[in-house]
Amino acid sequence: MAADSTTTTAATAATTDDDAVDLGRGLDALDTPTEQRTPLWKRLLTGVVPPIVAVVLFVVVWQILWASAIWPEFKLPSPEAVFGTIGTDVADGRALSIIWTSISRAVLGFLLAVVIATPIGLLVASVPLVRSAIGPVLTGLQSLPSVAWVPAAVLWFGLNDQTIYFVVLMGAVPSIANGLVSGIEQVPPLLPRVGFAMGASRSQSARLIMLPAALPGFLGGLKQGWAFAWRSLMAAEIIATSPSLGFGLGAYLNEGQALSDMPSVMAAIILILIVGIGVELLFFRPAELRVLRARGLGTGP
Amino acid sequence: MTATLERHAPEPRTGPPALDVRGVSKVFGSGEDAVVALDGVDLSVAPGEFVCLLGASGCGKSTLLNLVAGLDRPTSGTVETTAARPAVMFQEAALLPWLDAGRNVELPLRLAGIGRAQRRERARELLALVRLEGQAAKRPHELSGGMRQRVALARALAAATGLGGEGKSREEAGVLLMDEPFGALDAITRDVLQAELLRVWEATGTTVLFVTHDVRESVRLAERVVLLSSRPGRVVREWATSTADDAEELHGDITGELREVISAHGR
Ligand SMILES: Nc1ncnc2c1ncn2[C@@H]1O[C@H](COP(=O)(O)OP(=O)(O)OP(=O)(O)O)[C@@H](O)[C@H]1O
Ligand SMILES: [Mg+2]
Repeated sequence: MAADSTTTTAATAATTDDDAVDLGRGLDALDTPTEQRTPLWKRLLTGVVPPIVAVVLFVVVWQILWASAIWPEFKLPSPEAVFGTIGTDVADGRALSIIWTSISRAVLGFLLAVVIATPIGLLVASVPLVRSAIGPVLTGLQSLPSVAWVPAAVLWFGLNDQTIYFVVLMGAVPSIANGLVSGIEQVPPLLPRVGFAMGASRSQSARLIMLPAALPGFLGGLKQGWAFAWRSLMAAEIIATSPSLGFGLGAYLNEGQALSDMPSVMAAIILILIVGIGVELLFFRPAELRVLRARGLGTGP
Repeated sequence: MTATLERHAPEPRTGPPALDVRGVSKVFGSGEDAVVALDGVDLSVAPGEFVCLLGASGCGKSTLLNLVAGLDRPTSGTVETTAARPAVMFQEAALLPWLDAGRNVELPLRLAGIGRAQRRERARELLALVRLEGQAAKRPHELSGGMRQRVALARALAAATGLGGEGKSREEAGVLLMDEPFGALDAITRDVLQAELLRVWEATGTTVLFVTHDVRESVRLAERVVLLSSRPGRVVREWATSTADDAEELHGDITGELREVISAHGR
């Protein structure tokens, strides 16, 4: 200890201040949540391997059932026959053109649905009168299978693309609009208050606070909207078939039934599944994960 | 960093008050269910002053703060502030979870239409002021509760002082309204943040109106403690902390009065 008392006090003052800084730093270090990043190979192992195993098992069971010949061949073809059909269709380019017809319709219909549903969702979420008027209708429409619209659409529009798009829209719009509404509803009320207190105008608050805050819910709605668009499209293509309409996956399925060609029917079902799952895995899942992870809400692989 | 945390006697402050509340009443609802939250409250805060608003739970502290913040309108009376818009800080940090710490601090500047480069620079300064240098890229969920509250403090300072800058007068140093900002934190973190707040207040000269129901916190932080009664909220008494020589005695005094106010409701 120094003999001079003034330096001693100065030194103590300095140390207490340093102590306070250290204490603060220590608290920061201790309280900061540590994020555990699972390594890529582990995520692949837990995310990719189980579904592959499940598919392989499914095919094995199918093969066994087929080999035991419980059902006649025309009811249960062998996996080989079905994958063979897919193989030849892919090889001669027919599969590609069929899938393209359906996907381009679904994507166009989906985008159209987004354009229509977004303003509806915004209106329902922000205008109480509109909400009480069409909110319940929107929820009701979501549980109405859109295939129910096919007969009406055929009578209204005839057998053409308009019918198909109408059915797709009726399937996708309610989901997307409802997703946006619930996304906006789930925004903590403190956020717009804070925005207003910081001087945000109405449009700034909508653009910079409400919409980004509602994004997770909206993305959920988009994902569901895509699933409904795809489903509705298949229903429409199966029922409304005509040479004037392009030949999509639904028509392919329908043709298989007409020709009693079970391998074709099953090939069509598998392709429909692959497209539906593929779009979800390639586009919606990554987008959702990114948005959730950026907010610290990400779950699982 | 050698700034001490000792209290200085307030310098004499002149000029118009930074915020002036006159005869403010607030009634929620109407008819039978009407709740008189505030009744004829007068409160004037000088530029650069640190005032604590103390009162039992439900006495109308938040209501008064919201009126001053312009988030709500008084039923009668007037609220005037020199700052165009007082900044507010709540019990929750209320950071935008999709923006990193830096961009959260930038947000009020962005809303004010200030350019990118200037905003960045100011956010960096303010984060350094709350001892979060180098943390601008962290997202709120990657920060501890205390750090989040410091980001919120930096953001409130950005809202209160804009681009800041040296040589600004007290009037331009802004007004900061805080509603139990440390209420959700653990004791040690709260203690550290109280010290940080005092340091930041001394460094910026910002006017602070701080709501709390913790007597010890109010005595530690404020230059002046204002006690509100409950239902209806009225100003009961005020204490200047700088004239009291003994903090313990002042604490005892205020606690006694607060108990008196609360038990008056039991009679
Ligand atoms: N929007 C509202 N509608 C009706 N009554 C309200 C509303 N906001 C507040 N009150 C009432 O006004 C009174 C004061 O509320 P306020 O939130 O201002 O109290 P407080 O002092 O901040 O309490 P706390 O310490 O719990 O935060 C309470 O009795 C409350 O029930
Ligand atoms: Mg309150």
